[in-house]
Amino acid sequence: MGPLAALLAVYALFCALAPATFLGALNLATMLRQTAVVAVTSLGMTFVILLGGIDLSVGSGVALTGVVVARALQSGAGALSAVAIGVLVAALAGALNGALTAHAKITPFIVTLGSMSVLRGVAKGLAGEQKIDAEPRGLETLMTGGANALMPSGVWLALALALLGAVVLHYTVFGRHVVAIGSNVQTARLCGVPVERVILAVYALAGALTGVAGVLEFSTLTVGDPTDSLGLELEAIAAVVIGGGSLAGGQGSIAGAMLGALLMTVIKTGCTHVGLPNWVQEILTGVIIVVAVGIDRFRRR
Amino acid sequence: MRRRLFALAFIAAALALGCSKRSAPAPTASGTPAARLRLAMIPKGTTHEFWKSVHAGAVKASRELDVDLVWKGPLKEDDLKSQIDLVQSFTAQKVSGIALAPLNDKALVASVNAAAATGVPVVILDSALSGGNIVSFVATDNRAAGGLAGERAAELLPNGGKVVVLRYQEGSASTHEREQGFLERVKAHPGLVVVSDNQYGGPTTESAFTASESLLLAQNAAGGGVNLVFAPNESTTFGMLLALEKSKLAGKVHLVGFDISDKLLKGVQTGEIDALVLQNPFKMGELTVHALVDQLRGKTVPKRTDTGAQILDRKNLEQPEIQALVKPDLARWLGQ
Repeated sequence: MGPLAALLAVYALFCALAPATFLGALNLATMLRQTAVVAVTSLGMTFVILLGGIDLSVGSGVALTGVVVARALQSGAGALSAVAIGVLVAALAGALNGALTAHAKITPFIVTLGSMSVLRGVAKGLAGEQKIDAEPRGLETLMTGGANALMPSGVWLALALALLGAVVLHYTVFGRHVVAIGSNVQTARLCGVPVERVILAVYALAGALTGVAGVLEFSTLTVGDPTDSLGLELEAIAAVVIGGGSLAGGQGSIAGAMLGALLMTVIKTGCTHVGLPNWVQEILTGVIIVVAVGIDRFRRR
Repeated sequence: MRRRLFALAFIAAALALGCSKRSAPAPTASGTPAARLRLAMIPKGTTHEFWKSVHAGAVKASRELDVDLVWKGPLKEDDLKSQIDLVQSFTAQKVSGIALAPLNDKALVASVNAAAATGVPVVILDSALSGGNIVSFVATDNRAAGGLAGERAAELLPNGGKVVVLRYQEGSASTHEREQGFLERVKAHPGLVVVSDNQYGGPTTESAFTASESLLLAQNAAGGGVNLVFAPNESTTFGMLLALEKSKLAGKVHLVGFDISDKLLKGVQTGEIDALVLQNPFKMGELTVHALVDQLRGKTVPKRTDTGAQILDRKNLEQPEIQALVKPDLARWLGQ
């Protein structure tokens, strides 16, 4: 309940501060659209954090996917195959993170800190260190439209993935294995959970979701930008933690992470509507995140 | 419980503190309902000197025209996604008009068209947009500005000489225009020979410095292989200046650069830089707001406005209109 209360409180506050504009349907649709990318990445991040891991490479992964999609389109691939290649590359990068974590026993913080840099470098190299213009072949419509009551298909996609993720987490053996490993690896192993396989699968899944987020990002930008999404990983981690996730593993919820992602968009948009300068907005965002999580933790004690 | 209350009080205080800055114009806005225009201006970034001058000019115009101005750059400097988000948010907010300096000529087109479709007019400043439903484009005419540099090159070398252009970066439209403007003018003078115009300085001062050193060596500048260098922006000018200083050629090889910084200004004073072409960001901000307000008040607005460029050298350095470009009175308009 904590993240929902925080979201409603901050939302009500900005409604009061900018009543003429903040409440409008257009603004709601815009905020949902702007949340889609962070929401999809924090979906993958929820699984990773539940597992007791961390993935710092998602920002670079999103940028790389955008570049890969743009390059594929540029070389004549259709929209669907470009998307497939982009998601596949991101999933492979995720699987590599998983393999190094599970089998080489390197801590995920270090593994993904490395791949954050590697993927960023690959993206820049592949893009020739500039933004790639490519005919989007209909991909741009994923995130456009929806100026009225209807939301663009990218937002529906994010919602559907969140639902699917929640189902996987609560009703499948895989979901229970993830939570079991995050709660206590030794016990999970003794109970016969295939720890290495689950870790590999979770990071690959997070990679694939990063790929989907990258496709949505490309749809927004309509160019492949290798410098895009710097720091996105921190937003995704913040979303999960605001939503009740614990960096120690075993705790976290997908609904919470979605609300957390939305909370950050509401702060960002609200500050724009109220007309706050960027430096105030940055201070405020930090304070709200810490206070929201702080209140939540205090209540649970 | 008490701690929770304390936390809530803290968050409220933080918000109140943050909002106090803008609470001043609010009563005026509600005092004259619907009549008062509210403009949003979105630069490429907020921390560079250039954008501060644009901001100052925009504030001046907004006070003269009695409109509200919201100045909001991408939260992450030069971040395309944040800029797109801002255009969308201001559109959803239904501001009266948006002024935008696009970070990319294609990526912003969709959001700009969406703004226009919801009835929010958009004026583009500084860098061009490829197409898009816009009211006007207010920027330096870079080709003409490059031409000024070319003309100065011809004056510096009345008996002809060997000229080098250190280009900035592939795919940068504004500097490409400057380079072309320079080359066109230089080629009109038969005595001037362009010995190199295919080397790029790259994004940073560091990369420009490295490229300059190799270029000076390759052209045998120390042996008189180069008489004049043109650099099309701040980083290439500074990189070239450093390379000339290091190879003890500063003051011997002529240098015509672009834009201004404290270091470049010193170079002009010591004579190591012959001339700098200056843009007029203050005027750019001013004219952009004028274009937007004219459109909203039903006047005709020209599709393209040139905000002009000027040569700065040792002789005109102390003139008041040049000083206004070199050290704009930011404090007066930005209140810092």
